[in-house]
Amino acid sequence: MAQSSAQLLFDESGQPFIVMREQENQKRITGVEAVKSHILAARAVANTLRTSLGPRGLDKMLVSPDGDVTITNDGATIMEKMDVQHHVAKLMVELSKSQDHEIGDGTTGVVVLAGALLEEAEKLIDRGIHPIKIADGFDLACKKALETLDSISDKFPVENRERLVETAQTSLGSKIVNRSLRQFAEIAVDAVLSVADIESKDVNFEMIKMEGKVGGRLEDTILVKGIVIDKTMSHPQMPKELKNAKVAILTCPFEPPKPKTKHKLDITSTEDFKALRDYERETFETMIRQVKESGATLAICQWGFDDEANHLLQANDLPAVRWVGGPEIELLAIATNARIVPRFSELSKEKLGTAGLVREITFGAAKDRMLSIEQCPNNKAVTIFVRGGNKMIIDEAKRALHDALCVIRNLVRDSRIVYGGGSAELAAAIQVAKEADRIDGIEQYAFRAFADALESIPMALAENSGLAPIDALSDLKAKQIETGKSSLGIDAVFAGTNDMKEQKVIETLLSKREQISLATQVVRMILKIDDVRVPDDERMGY
Amino acid sequence: MMRPPIILLKDGTENKQGKGQIISNINACQVVADSIRTTLGPRGLDKLIVDSKGATTISNDGATILKLLDIVFPAASTMVDIARSQDAEVGDGTTSVVVLAAEILKQMKPFIEDGVHPQLLIRAIGKACEKTLKNLADLEIKINGETELREMLVKCAATTLSSKLVSQERLFFANMIVDAVNTLDAHLPLNMIGIKKVNGGNLHESRLIKGVAFQKAFSYAGFEMQPKKYSNVKVALLNIELELKAEKENAEMRLTNVSDFQAVVDAEWNILYDKLQKIHDSGANVVLSKLPIGDVATQWFADRDMFCAGRIPQDDLDRLMSACGGSVLTTVSQIDDSVLGKCGKFYEQQVGSERYNFFEDCSKAQACTLLLRGGAEQFIAETERSLHDAIMIVRRAKKNDSIVAGGGAIEMELSRLIREHSKGIEGKDQAFWMAYGQAFEIIPRQLCQNAGLDALDVLNKLRHRHAQGEKWAGIDIHREAVGDNLVACVWEPSIVKRNAITAATEAACLVLSIDQTVKNVRTPSGGAMPGLPGQ
Repeated sequence: MAQSSAQLLFDESGQPFIVMREQENQKRITGVEAVKSHILAARAVANTLRTSLGPRGLDKMLVSPDGDVTITNDGATIMEKMDVQHHVAKLMVELSKSQDHEIGDGTTGVVVLAGALLEEAEKLIDRGIHPIKIADGFDLACKKALETLDSISDKFPVENRERLVETAQTSLGSKIVNRSLRQFAEIAVDAVLSVADIESKDVNFEMIKMEGKVGGRLEDTILVKGIVIDKTMSHPQMPKELKNAKVAILTCPFEPPKPKTKHKLDITSTEDFKALRDYERETFETMIRQVKESGATLAICQWGFDDEANHLLQANDLPAVRWVGGPEIELLAIATNARIVPRFSELSKEKLGTAGLVREITFGAAKDRMLSIEQCPNNKAVTIFVRGGNKMIIDEAKRALHDALCVIRNLVRDSRIVYGGGSAELAAAIQVAKEADRIDGIEQYAFRAFADALESIPMALAENSGLAPIDALSDLKAKQIETGKSSLGIDAVFAGTNDMKEQKVIETLLSKREQISLATQVVRMILKIDDVRVPDDERMGY
Repeated sequence: MMRPPIILLKDGTENKQGKGQIISNINACQVVADSIRTTLGPRGLDKLIVDSKGATTISNDGATILKLLDIVFPAASTMVDIARSQDAEVGDGTTSVVVLAAEILKQMKPFIEDGVHPQLLIRAIGKACEKTLKNLADLEIKINGETELREMLVKCAATTLSSKLVSQERLFFANMIVDAVNTLDAHLPLNMIGIKKVNGGNLHESRLIKGVAFQKAFSYAGFEMQPKKYSNVKVALLNIELELKAEKENAEMRLTNVSDFQAVVDAEWNILYDKLQKIHDSGANVVLSKLPIGDVATQWFADRDMFCAGRIPQDDLDRLMSACGGSVLTTVSQIDDSVLGKCGKFYEQQVGSERYNFFEDCSKAQACTLLLRGGAEQFIAETERSLHDAIMIVRRAKKNDSIVAGGGAIEMELSRLIREHSKGIEGKDQAFWMAYGQAFEIIPRQLCQNAGLDALDVLNKLRHRHAQGEKWAGIDIHREAVGDNLVACVWEPSIVKRNAITAATEAACLVLSIDQTVKNVRTPSGGAMPGLPGQ
């Protein structure tokens, strides 16, 4: 019945009539066909990501239309750069994005899980079960799985830095930086701990700045407790290193002030012209005097100043930095306890900030120089300075660090953890499967399917690590049921033990919970669609 | 002898008339109803529509789908209109009104084909409609008492939500919505419930804020130095640009003297500083403006431990005004304590990837904000539409505190009453009444079909039960059986049904009364393409 309704219709006299605008240009799929084509599309997306899961997961190389190359195994980044056209596949992209926004880690896992759920759903649809019943069953199973996760979760000692570093290592384990795992993990932990507000369990990421510079090795990456800005002193002869600097942060240019209203200065005589020149010179001098009088030994300016001003600054022995961007100004102000000064006349001693050490860092043979401001009174702003062989590595290292930062932040927010390596999923799967037998009604099938889908995460991990997936999984499952230890997972790095507690592979409960509930939500949404209208001219790959 | 042909209409004008026209109109309405009938009920499925720009909408809401379908057939657009009017009037039941109207038309079609004059049909179903409404009024159940009322509202909201994407969490959201509506004043203005969507997170993390929340506005350097937490807040609401700028757009100054130059610059600064000082003096510690607040002002406020945010959307400002009192100022010359809004708590918090500003414990508390969380963008968008429906229902139900049982129960009962009544009518009208009564059965039938139940079987059971006097027997989709829906708490406000019946009947009458369509040639836009064929 539904199939025919988007086609041309004919009335009694044989004339076609058009009900919807441009209906002949629309594609329409309805009923089970629609659900199946959606499942296919979503699974195709999930399959692309499947191989980048886990510590032995491989990277994807993505080339953008204008030739930019990105190499990554971060699920959210891959999805974003793939430029997916299909409307349902877009939902999967959104899925990994929202995991990224909320948690920042586990973006690959969530997509793989959603794909697995859909795969199971397809089988059930083939058996003739109503999609909504499947979705209802999944929802119930999801609740059960979340309960299981809660019950197997461990309390995590957030005060213990060593343990935090271990957790960060899990997140970084699958990334490009795993060569210097420990170092990166420490950087991430220290960065978060220095900006975290433990009391309100809030971490403001805007206080953590990441800078990258090509050259050097990944191992040269450092955490600067202070700010690094990609600028140099305005004049080459200015000192390269300042100790106990008093910093004046200015948002006004070193030039005679201009009214914002449109204006015109009529000069009619030579005297006037001279007066104008004198005025300009005078303002420069007053400005520098004002800065000097306030006691500042370093001026950081949001705007530029011309060579004349530059010369005057140098002559007056006042080091200055020009063209510093807004966000950096703000971070600087916070770090040095300075007040941002919009006018020279408002400069005073109280508004200056202090920094223990300001120096220019030079890199290798290139003339690249950056300014680092360290030993600031307020450690709430930090910079992670990433080095690496090429731009792609640096970008990927930044993404990896971001993931690790998110993990630590989540721990600060909620200190409960579960163990990784697919152990948590497996434990949940076992519980869900057990529960399935107790349910009457068709939801039972959905429950079992949900349990199977959960097992796909350890399965993919085993596959990516070069293990025989089915052997490894069945072995593990037997062990978990036998010993009742929920921390048994896939030994992906061949450390010799399956106990993730010993291997110290830790994930946050928050992230796991989010993965499972988000994936279930999206699956429900996809299952619930039975009618699609798409403009035909967009050649979408069904 | 050749008579010159009389050309009455422009060439290409479509002109259809007669019985064929009515039939083809009815068919068109049927097509429209077909496209949304599968969304009805708790087992109804969603539609995914991609428009020509590539924007994707996934929806279960009849009015939303019909709007996106972009229907051009003249008679069929009445269907869209009734869905919209239902949406505007009661906010829910948009699918059922269209399905019902199409079914009435379908029942009338054989009569038209048999040559019955449409006016006779119109008169008969008009009368039948009146009778139905009277029956409905007799059937509906009044709810009294404070706690019963609240319970009733929650149940009505839950029934609405049961067919939506969020059906698993319907009780959670139903309670939330009832709380939200209860914070409003007597007029229940809809725009005082703000809905904010943040991607990510679990549906359960959605929350109701008794107060106002909005996303952190774009901020200039210095913002991070401002405090982000106050208690006993005084809020200054402004419609002023706090930026260093020219006072008049096209003013031009001619300066003849260098010393004037400095004076002009100082004057400009002083204008801004005066404003800032006045705001500070009034005792406000949070400054919000609809227009931008520039970097100078941001830093000035940061210096004095005040919080400011510019470019706040108008509706957020309005909500804040009704929650906290105070008024939106367009000048600061009169600013004092009396025009400031007051609220107990202000803080900034991370929600998903966004930072949000929250105002709580407001002095007047007549506004609230629903903060929705969920997986994908489309998911939250659909959640918002669902909640909108539920909010509308609760608002209507609060004013009209009578309910009926849903799940096809009320339709079956109305159908039975009309058919019984028809037996006492003389003449042709009897058949028309019969058919009209029959039409109501479409709702339970469609519910069954969508749920994959055997519609014939279930309808027989229902008819049987109703004939035995069980007037609230309806379909219990979750148990896939027939049961008493009043007991099962599938409740709907009777106003939804009343409006749906009236609108559907009127639409049916309208379509039946058309016997000629004259459709003008579409003038090519701008006259650029004159000879375009097939327009």
